[in-house]
Amino acid sequence: MLGTQEKFAFFSQASSMDRKILSYRGAKRVFTLIACLTLLQGLCLIVQAIFLAEVVTHLFDGKSVQDEVRQMLLFFSAFAGRYFCVFLIQTISERFAERTSSDLSSHFLAKLFKLGPKFAANEGTGNLVTLVMEGVGQARQYLQLFPPKMVSNVVLPVMILCYVFTLDRLSAVILAVAMPVLIVFMVLLGLAAQKKMNDRWTSYRVLSNHFIDSLRGLSTLRYLGLSRHHAESIRRVSDKYRKMTMRTLSLAFMSSFALDFFSMLSIAFVAVALGLRLINGQITLFPALTVLILAPEFFLPVRELGQDYHATLDGKEAAHKLLAYSDQETDDERLAHQKAFPEQRWNQDSSLEICNCTYVYPSGTRSALSSIQVEARGFTKIGIVGASGAGKSTLIDLIGGFISAESGIIRVNNQQTVLNHEDWRKQITYIPQHPYLFSGSLKDNITFYSPESTDEEVMQAIEKAGLHALVSKMNHGLEERIGAGGRQLSGGQEQRIALARAYLCNRPILLLDEPTAHLDIETEYELKETMIQLFKGKLVFLATHRLHWMDQMDEMIVMANGKITEYGTPTELVRKNGFYATLVRTQLEGL
Amino acid sequence: MRTWIVPYMMKHWRRLSLSVFVSLLGALCAAGLLFTSGYLISKAALRPENILMIYVPIVGVRTFGIFRAVFQYTARLTSHDTILRILSEMRTRLYNKLEPVALFHRSYYQAGDVLAILSDDMEHLQDIYLRTALPGATAVIVYGFWIAVVGSLDGIFALLIGLYLLLLLVFFPLFSLLWSRHKRKSLLKHRHQLYEKMTDAVLGIGDWILSGRQQAFLAAHDQLEKQATQENRRLEDFRRLRDLLSQLLIGGAVLIILYWTGGMAADGHISRTLIAAFVLVIFSISETLIPVSEAVERLPQYNEAFQRLNTIAGKEPKYSINESSIQPKLDERSVTICADNLFYRYSENEDWAVENISLSIHQGERVALIGRSGAGKSTLTHLIYGALKPQHGTITLNGIPCEHFGHRMSRRISVLNQNPHLFDTSVLNNIKLGNEQASFEAIVQATKWVRLHEKIERLPNGYQTQMHEAGSIFSGGEQERLALARILLQDNPIVILDEPTVGLDPITEKELLQTIFETLEGKTLLWITHHLTGTEKMNQIIFMEDGRFEMHGTHQQLLDRYPRYRRLYQLDVPEHLRRQL
Repeated sequence: MLGTQEKFAFFSQASSMDRKILSYRGAKRVFTLIACLTLLQGLCLIVQAIFLAEVVTHLFDGKSVQDEVRQMLLFFSAFAGRYFCVFLIQTISERFAERTSSDLSSHFLAKLFKLGPKFAANEGTGNLVTLVMEGVGQARQYLQLFPPKMVSNVVLPVMILCYVFTLDRLSAVILAVAMPVLIVFMVLLGLAAQKKMNDRWTSYRVLSNHFIDSLRGLSTLRYLGLSRHHAESIRRVSDKYRKMTMRTLSLAFMSSFALDFFSMLSIAFVAVALGLRLINGQITLFPALTVLILAPEFFLPVRELGQDYHATLDGKEAAHKLLAYSDQETDDERLAHQKAFPEQRWNQDSSLEICNCTYVYPSGTRSALSSIQVEARGFTKIGIVGASGAGKSTLIDLIGGFISAESGIIRVNNQQTVLNHEDWRKQITYIPQHPYLFSGSLKDNITFYSPESTDEEVMQAIEKAGLHALVSKMNHGLEERIGAGGRQLSGGQEQRIALARAYLCNRPILLLDEPTAHLDIETEYELKETMIQLFKGKLVFLATHRLHWMDQMDEMIVMANGKITEYGTPTELVRKNGFYATLVRTQLEGL
Repeated sequence: MRTWIVPYMMKHWRRLSLSVFVSLLGALCAAGLLFTSGYLISKAALRPENILMIYVPIVGVRTFGIFRAVFQYTARLTSHDTILRILSEMRTRLYNKLEPVALFHRSYYQAGDVLAILSDDMEHLQDIYLRTALPGATAVIVYGFWIAVVGSLDGIFALLIGLYLLLLLVFFPLFSLLWSRHKRKSLLKHRHQLYEKMTDAVLGIGDWILSGRQQAFLAAHDQLEKQATQENRRLEDFRRLRDLLSQLLIGGAVLIILYWTGGMAADGHISRTLIAAFVLVIFSISETLIPVSEAVERLPQYNEAFQRLNTIAGKEPKYSINESSIQPKLDERSVTICADNLFYRYSENEDWAVENISLSIHQGERVALIGRSGAGKSTLTHLIYGALKPQHGTITLNGIPCEHFGHRMSRRISVLNQNPHLFDTSVLNNIKLGNEQASFEAIVQATKWVRLHEKIERLPNGYQTQMHEAGSIFSGGEQERLALARILLQDNPIVILDEPTVGLDPITEKELLQTIFETLEGKTLLWITHHLTGTEKMNQIIFMEDGRFEMHGTHQQLLDRYPRYRRLYQLDVPEHLRRQL
């Protein structure tokens, strides 16, 4: 809404922007082409003005229209040439923007897969989707609009000014003086508006969020008995917001007012000065008319600069953000290729040793895991417990190869290696609290890890996962759409889909992160029965608070503050009477 | 369109026409500036004896030059002011549409943040005025004005140039509207698919990595993106070509004007000083006509927004509340909930959501309500809250049917649900929502009870800290505690606890539940829960399945009577662990 208040920033940032933009693929060639075409456009523009002025002067002098046909056609050709140049420039920059934005998004996606889920969660999944969907669009707009605008602002006014100077010095001086004055006023007024905006930022934010905040909290308002009278407060706040916005706008619009005012006024000055000197015979009609035709063109590029200003500013930010993500170095690239991975698939005799491993959150100095020591052999079932924030999920992420340890040694089958290796990941199934359902058919979702499965195998997996009742209720059977935009499933059903996936791909290592705590007790009970079947013949790591899982576990890891504090069989730990025993007691005691 | 635009246009027609009028004056000043300056220098080129001969055009040029900017500025301000007024009315209207179904939002709009989209849609409607109606109206009037001026000199030519400019004003816009409509639709479809793909990529990133199918995804995504790009390119190419042709048409218009004015001047019908004036002014007039194509092309966009607003906010509330005129006494501290052969279903062809339920809960009793999702727990609580009206049977508070309470139910029953909404205001105001008359001391007392007082005191601005800053400071359990403080201030005899501890770890859960039961001592509690820890302390435990009570009794009764209950209780409180301890 605040269309133009920051136009000034354009000038101050123009210099910093162009350097970055040149680093995109093919940008230099594009700029050169645009610059050449803009020169040509400027030439056509001047020629067109000359011929038009000539025709008008001749007609004014009483020549007949028939004699001027040649000049008129020349005028039209120059005019057409000018807009054809514009057409070409826009085509070139559009293609450039298309190519670059598509590069940006595919690089970003490829990098995202390398950075992994931990990164996605840290950055906020919603933010990332928005960035890649809207950000890429904005970046494209910026890349499309900015180069031609920048070039035409540099080239056209200078060309016009030079030519006007040869025709009439006074007009050239008027125009040359008007431009900086105009820019200074725009900048000053823009800054003032910006300052006013910043001063009131807090109240602005509250006022502008008030409506959506109210909608989100509508049921809470209703329960508190406030929802009915709240309509009045929405009206009041809206009104306040309007008044506040108008006060800022009245200042913000001043900067485009300055643009209009000074450009129009200087055209008027040029016209009057020409008129006065025409009377005195100091100048003739032809040059005077040419100058008058060129004067509005002199200001045109600056005026166009202001349009879509916000779009370009957002786009620039988005483009640079995407680029920054893509440039980020990943652990993958640092480590994965240096280490070989044992070829053998995980079996009864395999072993995994994590020695003294540490992991630090990328954002802070606090370590999420410190001196972790884990040993797992064959098809052991290992439970992980601890308060929230103790590092359980991070440990699961480490074992799953989603993150890599900062220090420490990892051995698989006594061979030193890293876990963020494709050959390790291929052996893992991971079931989180809320398995993600892709928007697609039920079959697509179940066969996600093994796309080549036959329908028969899928049906078997469905049977094992206890999904048959649900599938038989679906109108389209295996082809029923689920996920966003499809049929909604309950938490228990989501888990069963994940179980069906796991049954189908039958990988030897299973990681579970609190898979049942959010479910009602009966669903949890039934799901547990199914899960226990899945555990057979697999190495299992299960992070949970729920006590009933403990008797399924061979060993327990107790975590606190990123460290492993207790380690042993459940019975041993109860006897030890440490944190684990406290945790068990807390839950057994009831309220 | 009819419901979301027309009434507002009618109501605000004065302001709207004022803004059109002022922006028209702005456009006329721009044209006037070029016209008079063309005239001025032509007149001056005749070298009149007296400078006074060109005094009027000089004044004209200066006036137009100055006022063009002034009018433009005024027009922008008035139009924005009007739009903001309309927006504010629309917000209130949307709110009033959504308010009656407030408790059913989750079933109304399941996926995504529909509410945010709605509010965005409404913001976009302002473009209808600012980017379509205003430039469109201005262009039409400028066009009419120009034809009138030319017509006063030469009727036939006015007709010709009028038809010629209609190409710009009507033909191009209509053509681009028709041409781009389908292209836009399929582009939108592709965009949507891309969006789904992206969401799948980001939210399902762990699965992609483990499955080793990243390359397949990238290839599929590239393919889809290419299609979208191609469609977008077709639209862009079309627009560029249209703009080029529009410019060429303007060039043609200049030639036509040259030809006409040249002829007219030669025949002495007009003064030759007007040639330059007419030629210059045609540029500025065509400038107002070019944006019309783009303004019209936007129309389908608005339609999408309207459709969303209509489908969501346009439908009549399915569940209406009929508040009875009987004024239930408000000071009752002892309330008995009583249900008798209660039936409810959401529509004729659905199964009963609540089927033949009878129960009675006396003041101060604690009841646990357990069941799978879809078992009818929410429907039952909605019936108790009076948000739904039973088809058969009765549900009453002290003999008064629940649905008669309407909005006054908030003086009887409080609700603590998972993810209580904390509003974007100060911590103090958030708690105060429970009772707006509450004194500061009462509020502090409530936060002390829920054990948040010290934490709040330590915040940078204490109770005045804004929620959006504190939001990340309060953990899930603490946010529940804040909501609990509200409920304490509300001080109702009945509290419904709707799974307030989902997602909390067992230690936090236990502490929170202890606080809840401690502070709500003496109130009737209806606790929807998914675990059995704590059920020993309940007066009644209700297991719901398919709308019916499957098991109903005290903890001990259920343990004695139902093997199923024993099995489930084992899951929460494993016997062997107890023995080990």
